[in-house]
Amino acid sequence: MAAEITKAQVDEIFPTVAKTIADALGCELDEVKRDASLIEDLGAESIDFLDLVFRLERAFKVKIPRGKIVEDARGDLPEAEFEQKGVVTEAGLARLRQFLAEVPADRFKAPLKATDIPRLFTAETFAKLVLRARAEQPAA
Amino acid sequence: MTGRYASFTFVDRITALTPGVAAEGTFHVPAHAGAFPVSLLAEATGQLAAWVAVAKLGFRLRPVAGIAHETIYAGAPRAGDTLETRIRIDSCEDDAVAYQGWCRIGGKTVLELRDCVGPMLPLEDFDEPEAMRAFYDVLCTTGATPDRFPGVAVTPLVPLAGESGRSATARLDVPRDAPYFADHFPRRPVFPGTLLLDRMTALAAGVAREAAAGREVVAARVTDVKLRAFTEPGAALTLHAAVEPGGGRTIGAALEARAEGQRRPVGGARVAFEVLQ
Repeated sequence: MAAEITKAQVDEIFPTVAKTIADALGCELDEVKRDASLIEDLGAESIDFLDLVFRLERAFKVKIPRGKIVEDARGDLPEAEFEQKGVVTEAGLARLRQFLAEVPADRFKAPLKATDIPRLFTAETFAKLVLRARAEQPAA
Repeated sequence: MTGRYASFTFVDRITALTPGVAAEGTFHVPAHAGAFPVSLLAEATGQLAAWVAVAKLGFRLRPVAGIAHETIYAGAPRAGDTLETRIRIDSCEDDAVAYQGWCRIGGKTVLELRDCVGPMLPLEDFDEPEAMRAFYDVLCTTGATPDRFPGVAVTPLVPLAGESGRSATARLDVPRDAPYFADHFPRRPVFPGTLLLDRMTALAAGVAREAAAGREVVAARVTDVKLRAFTEPGAALTLHAAVEPGGGRTIGAALEARAEGQRRPVGGARVAFEVLQ
């Protein structure tokens, strides 16, 4: 299990993450609040996520596998127990609440379609994504 | 279908291949082709990357134009030239392909494509997978019959507004019917992103020339290309180009294309023009 991510770690990289998000989405830097949903609040589309992950990889010199957030959130929970017929199960929702602790609780609404999980992602979610990728990167 | 693998296909032959990793290809610009927009150098290079990616993923998925972080132009193609394209795949998965690319003419590098990302979509929505597989085999062996490309008609812009040397807005009426739709793509015709970029760059070049007191300008570097949505035949787009503050021998401009009723732009980019002395 990866070590817990601290607030200080997020604080340290957040300015660069926010600038990268603003560049990728073409929005103002001050719009990129920590709890801003990239889709709901900043109008991100799927191509923006591709762009953003790519820019974060370059900015932080880390490799971020695609689909990493959902994969990490699911952890050791079998896919069939995480979602059924495209809808996140109760157990899956509990995992997401725990893993995406930075997302305000009222945004987790059942039933949640698996394809709607990215709607939950906030700017801070991407800061944590970078920190996890950095921690898992083999030492040079 | 008439025009398939001819009207908008810019790979004649794949001359070297490391499957899923790298490739080299050629395309001969027919003498009868007429004007060959410089953005088609990027199209030719991107198409080579697309073939490699499609083959790697078993002809299930295909990339579509998406993101090109930086494109360097260092020459213009002419009818009769042979393009030598080369690509290196950084990653190729079910959601996207990331690659770098180069194009040479007569031994000189005329294009560098840096950090491109193409989102993957189901191939069968756009094309016939088995026909593509068969044509890929031709590209990898004998090569296709050269000189198939009939040329591409430039779609004129309709000026809407502007401020001399600062900005311009124009309408682009995408044709309802054009030969390239047979190739791009057979099951879902879409206005090619590289032709959209050509038109946006042409609009910006007019403004940049005004900003350069009438001196000629040439697009040298295009950054942050992002195409967000498909443009269907017959669509009307509003293009906007705004020259960025600065000056000297390089003039920068921000480009944007919008479709009515869409919250986000269809596409956007930045271009740096070199002012010719």
